[in-house]
Amino acid sequence: MRRLNKLGRIDRSQPIAFTFDGKTMTGFRGDSLASAMLANDVTIVGRSFKYHRPRGIYSAGPEEPNALVTIGTGGRREPNLPATTVELADGLVAESQNRWPSLKFDVQSINSWFSPFLAAGFYYKTFMGPTRRSWMFYEHFIRKAAGLGRAGQEPDPDRYEVRHLFADVAVVGAGPAGLAAALAAAEAGAKVVLVEQDFLAGGYLLSEPSAGQAGAWLAGMLARLADMPNVSLMTRTIAFGAYDGNVLGLLERHNSSSVDPRQGEARQTLGLLRAKSIVYCTGSIERPLTFANNDRPGIMLASAARTYLNRYGVLAGKRVLVAADNDSAYSAAIDLAAAGAQVTIADSRAQPGPQLLEQARRGGIAVRATSMIAKAIGGHNVRAVVLIEPRGKTTLECDLIGVSGGWSPTVHLTSHLGIKPVYREDIRAFVPGKLGAGQFVAGAVTGSFTTEAAVDDGHRAGNEAFAFCDAARSSQAQVKFDLPKINAKLGVIGDDGNSGLRPKPPLSPAFSTQTNEGVGGKMNLAKGKAFVDLQMDVTVSDIALAHQEGYQSVEHLKRYTTLGMGTDQGKTSNFYALSAMAGLRGMAIPDVGTTTFRPPFTPVAVGALAGLSHGHHYKPFRRTPMHDWHVSNDAEMLETGLWMRPWFYHASSRDVNEAYVAEMRNVREAAGLMDISTLGKIAVQGPDAAEFLDRVYVNGFAKLPVGRARYGVMLRDDGIVFDDGTTTRVGDQHFFMTTSTARAADVMSRLEFLLDTAWPDLRVSVSSVSDEWAAMSVAGPKSRDILAAAFPDLDVSNDALPHMGLLEGRYRDRPLRIIRLSFSGERAYEIYAGASVGKEAWCRLIDAGTPFGLKPYGIEALGALRVEKGHVAGPEIDGRTTLDDLGLRRMAGKSSGFVGEVLGRRQAFSDPERPRLVGLRCVEDGRRLRGGAILFRPNEPVQGHGLGRITSTTYSPTLDAWVGLGLLATSAAQEGAEFIAHYPLKGEAVRARVVSPTFLDPKGDWFHG
Amino acid sequence: MANGSEQANLGIASQDCGIVQFDGWDDAMARFEADLAPRLGGQLPTKVGDTTYQDGKLVIRIAPRRLWLLCDGPPPAIDIDPELGCMLALGEGRVRLRLSGQNIKHVLERCVVVDWDSLQEGEGVQVGFHRVPVLLLRTGPFECDLFAPRSFARSLVEWISEVEIGCRHTGP
Repeated sequence: MRRLNKLGRIDRSQPIAFTFDGKTMTGFRGDSLASAMLANDVTIVGRSFKYHRPRGIYSAGPEEPNALVTIGTGGRREPNLPATTVELADGLVAESQNRWPSLKFDVQSINSWFSPFLAAGFYYKTFMGPTRRSWMFYEHFIRKAAGLGRAGQEPDPDRYEVRHLFADVAVVGAGPAGLAAALAAAEAGAKVVLVEQDFLAGGYLLSEPSAGQAGAWLAGMLARLADMPNVSLMTRTIAFGAYDGNVLGLLERHNSSSVDPRQGEARQTLGLLRAKSIVYCTGSIERPLTFANNDRPGIMLASAARTYLNRYGVLAGKRVLVAADNDSAYSAAIDLAAAGAQVTIADSRAQPGPQLLEQARRGGIAVRATSMIAKAIGGHNVRAVVLIEPRGKTTLECDLIGVSGGWSPTVHLTSHLGIKPVYREDIRAFVPGKLGAGQFVAGAVTGSFTTEAAVDDGHRAGNEAFAFCDAARSSQAQVKFDLPKINAKLGVIGDDGNSGLRPKPPLSPAFSTQTNEGVGGKMNLAKGKAFVDLQMDVTVSDIALAHQEGYQSVEHLKRYTTLGMGTDQGKTSNFYALSAMAGLRGMAIPDVGTTTFRPPFTPVAVGALAGLSHGHHYKPFRRTPMHDWHVSNDAEMLETGLWMRPWFYHASSRDVNEAYVAEMRNVREAAGLMDISTLGKIAVQGPDAAEFLDRVYVNGFAKLPVGRARYGVMLRDDGIVFDDGTTTRVGDQHFFMTTSTARAADVMSRLEFLLDTAWPDLRVSVSSVSDEWAAMSVAGPKSRDILAAAFPDLDVSNDALPHMGLLEGRYRDRPLRIIRLSFSGERAYEIYAGASVGKEAWCRLIDAGTPFGLKPYGIEALGALRVEKGHVAGPEIDGRTTLDDLGLRRMAGKSSGFVGEVLGRRQAFSDPERPRLVGLRCVEDGRRLRGGAILFRPNEPVQGHGLGRITSTTYSPTLDAWVGLGLLATSAAQEGAEFIAHYPLKGEAVRARVVSPTFLDPKGDWFHG
Repeated sequence: MANGSEQANLGIASQDCGIVQFDGWDDAMARFEADLAPRLGGQLPTKVGDTTYQDGKLVIRIAPRRLWLLCDGPPPAIDIDPELGCMLALGEGRVRLRLSGQNIKHVLERCVVVDWDSLQEGEGVQVGFHRVPVLLLRTGPFECDLFAPRSFARSLVEWISEVEIGCRHTGP
């Protein structure tokens, strides 16, 4: 058992039971999953991506490349979570990944034997040979062998939310710099949101002994911030992305111990934080060292070993080798030794500072200068290490290797907006580039690695951030608060006299590879894989191979080797890869450049991105005023766009194909009532409204009398038909336009665009009134009788209300418009009533019309009726057809002056092979036509796109035949010609004859009179 | 129409409302506003989102050349010189959703992009709510009105109710 009886910030009075791979274990409140597993002597946590090598816990934070686990079961199963970031909770179920049949015995670890065939680029090479079809063979095996965790198949029962947050100053990171920045900004008067990815605030201070001065300082700062109502501290919250306008993407993981999804509480909340200014205090990440077998369980970052000791009371090893090229690892070594471990330091530097050596000596630590690791020995856990020293090789037994290759500032967030990080030779690291307005940095991310500097830096940045967002008050509000000094007696005192709480700049060569895989044969000490990217199994040899094969750009290197492309995004590997490539190319590191940093900094669950927008709430539904009537009268509702519309009514039949025919027949023989509230409706007002419509439509509206309606067609600028509809003149300067349901928003936007940009001089106002009116259509030979019965006070005679006429009135003290229009070919009326009384108007028509045989009909019958009449709609106005194609040229009475007129005269539009609208009638008994079928001449080979296609079909009860509309090459579209309609999806071929697209009542007698 | 549901920490009431829209022509805005202002109670709001409330008339400027008059009852009859602008009744197409309760901030931050703490009482802002355009008007410390398109209103109420469930454990 590695858990100590003292030390740490865990609550030993609160044990927590959890399972790992089915084995029950115990941790404590305050543990991470990683610390609890370490405490339970778990050394192997997972298997590596490609070679299936055993891997342990490598870090103590989100940079973890190895210890990825799957948490939860069933629908709550979430894969690829670093155990280092998972807060231990009661009943937590964790599972290792990428192994079979067990973690200790994984069959696919055989991959290591074939590693010469699996080097960088092997994946791409499988695309090429030996035959083009080889990939089909390889793919199955490659996908099975390589991988991470698997997501659950069941629906996730948990709740996720999206929140919009606002702040004057957002501070990312609650380490010493972040706490100081938050306090400075808050005391100046700013509304501050302080974001911390951990479940505790404190950052690196949490890795200090909790009973020491750092702990006291931290507690004091947190107490001061807690007393400030203008400060919001968000722990368990990762800032995963920085976006334009000082927007931060946050992912808040709620405490799984206290969240109860059954009570509606969210498991995770995605926050979009809009701040006037941002202070990034994102700290730094310790760099690993590369040597043979540097991935073995028992090897971890030196700082992580210190964190597990001081924060969690876990001594990760008893015989410890700390390998370092900088001062900071001495803190870990001294603390580990003080906790009872036997510690040796292998320092690659020839002359570590005398103060360091003295402190190590007092701690009973042996320091070996000019000493580097050649190779780690061990399988499931490290057992020994081979050191290479001036005197030769030495083998040292150990059960833990702590490595430290210096520190890399965490520049991800500051780089998300395309700001390239800048290389600083003095610290051999990248720091943030020049940030945008309102963005500041403080602490280790700036390359300043001491705690006292971080606090001063944070204080400065907090004040600057406040000044930026509230310049008027900032001159009076600059706060210089009295912070307790924390630089004395903390950690190791470095030779420059600074606190050693954070490391001095690394003094090692930029690429301190300690292996035989050293680039260019720089070293040749030991056999074994030396990993640069632990998560993606990328070795030093892979980088050399990429270079050798010409992939020398850092972006090419990344893609060829997959380096940095894992869920950890190469947080521990990127710098070494750049260093390696710089060495291979004989260039300086900044000349090699960096890859592009993109969000997210850590993975974000799709469920969190969706929030509530799934299932019923995936999109907002639009309901017509008559919606409830449809539902209560057994309509089968259908989503069309955002609208819910009646598809057909079960009273007609339970089967849609029978129902729509019955509903069509009723319209033709008596009357039908259709809810058409979904039509787009636009009020066009103003002295220049008629002129505006003249320019928008291909046909004229200026001379349209008040009280009359006209069918109109709009073109796009390129001459293609955009939309059709009717417009009614309800006043001298007031028009009522209707559009198709699907194009309502597009037409509205188009009209506004034209008024704003093309004709701003026109005095015209356009307003969407789609929701103002409940709209319904009464169609059929009995429609006038029904209307007269429903509205006995109105004169609906043919003289008073002729075809294309308007009648206005009031209904229940709301406006009422009746426009005589026909879409079905029958005598028909569109009734528009105020939306608030729409349902009453509908019921009134039903009541009045029932004695005349009136029945409601759905959109399936509506579409079929219009096909019989030969009206074009969405399937024909498909963004490719012109006025001539659709037989609408006669509409364009004007010769010029409308949108699309000029480009509509292009020569290509008069090509005789262009398709034009035709009617088609099935000539085979018992067969049917299908929309989408391709038209070929009889005996013509069935290949290519044919001569045209069927766009819409229906069974016509009047004709007792399947009929349809189609678009057919003009040169072939003679009435009477026969074609074969091929429908490849069902393998059908049926004969159809070209006829007029108007199947019924070609003279329009039914709707006139 | 008026119906309401009382949630644990949030009340939602849905009501009809009278809205009259006034549009002025670009080259006649000064005359348009001078003509309209006295008939709407005095001053007109100058900035988009600002409101004025005089003589029981709440006026909000929702676009540079567009004003809305919001009324609880039937809107007054106001004629506009067609040379200056035009008017349009919009009361049928929108529903007033009245939200009130201690949890209103937490509910709203899960619905719309609005900084409740910065929004003054009487101030309005047009927002996207579940991708639907909505006018939000703050009417009190813990109250606001959402003017939502009628066809979307029920869907939005369902969303608010769902959000509210998750906020019951959140303090005011």
